[in-house]
Amino acid sequence: MGFEKFLFYVFAFITLWSSGMVVTRRNPVHAVLFLVLAFVTSAALWILLEAEFLGIVLVLVYVGAVMVLFLFVVMMLDVDMAILRANFTHYLPLGTFITVVMATEIFIVVGSENFGLVAFPAPEAVSMAVDNTRELGLSLYTIYIYPVEIASVILLVAIVAAIRLTLRQRPENKYVSPSNQVHVKRFDRVRLVKMASENSNFETPAKDTRLDDGVTK
Amino acid sequence: MLNSYLPILMFILVGILVGVGPLLIGYLLGPHRPDDDKNAPYECGFEAFETARLKFDVRFYLVAILFIVFDLEIAFLFPWAIVLSDLGIVAFWVMAIFLGILVVGFIYEWKKGALEWE
Repeated sequence: MGFEKFLFYVFAFITLWSSGMVVTRRNPVHAVLFLVLAFVTSAALWILLEAEFLGIVLVLVYVGAVMVLFLFVVMMLDVDMAILRANFTHYLPLGTFITVVMATEIFIVVGSENFGLVAFPAPEAVSMAVDNTRELGLSLYTIYIYPVEIASVILLVAIVAAIRLTLRQRPENKYVSPSNQVHVKRFDRVRLVKMASENSNFETPAKDTRLDDGVTK
Repeated sequence: MLNSYLPILMFILVGILVGVGPLLIGYLLGPHRPDDDKNAPYECGFEAFETARLKFDVRFYLVAILFIVFDLEIAFLFPWAIVLSDLGIVAFWVMAIFLGILVVGFIYEWKKGALEWE
């Protein structure tokens, strides 16, 4: 138990430190990379809580995919630090107000009297034989079938919305479709013309014998 | 259960050591005499033409978000694959409908040309 506790404190410290770095870094790309570190150490904390499936999905989905999206968004925006910092005092009162309101709301919901071991006693320990992922699957695909299907519809909406919002066809870009290249036939390119041989006794100018549009002149 | 994750912890520690160690040794033992020209950004020996803070094309975002959708779909498949032998045909059809709805989206993005890079 002692080693697990030590690991918990190590990962918890790294999580808190990297979360602090996320909100204090001036360079947004650095902030996103610290957020990745925070997610990885949170996944380690979840695995310490024996929620292994959640921990691995956190790494798979958030670190693997969502943070890539965050990086793209940060790089897509034209982030100019000087402009961002110029209006800092202008936005400070509004920002402070919103922060105070949010902090008060969070404190009312999960304040010290609504939180802690008295309000939420620790769940009874299950035996080591219970497989976390199996239990999740058993409830997900029996009790929660309808929400699972709704999740798939939400993902469908995400696909359609992303395509509608960001897909732009570029007619100015000229490119060859590989499918058309593969399906081309000989008749599309070369036309053979049958004709009787001509009298070659008189002198023919050299330029008239060349092939032009596949037709012999 | 946690014992089975000990090799992964060791792997992480060795990975950090292998990644950070050479950098640290190079930083400590190597000569360190920076000047303005050495620290300046360069493009293959030229003076920098423009700032590196270019706006990315929005098409990268489209590829990333389509990847996330199918990544989440995979996350649903793992617990399903484990319990499929217990739940049998019902779980099979639940996942068939789930995947079927997403295949509609896949056909849509294929037909729209969202997978083409041009």
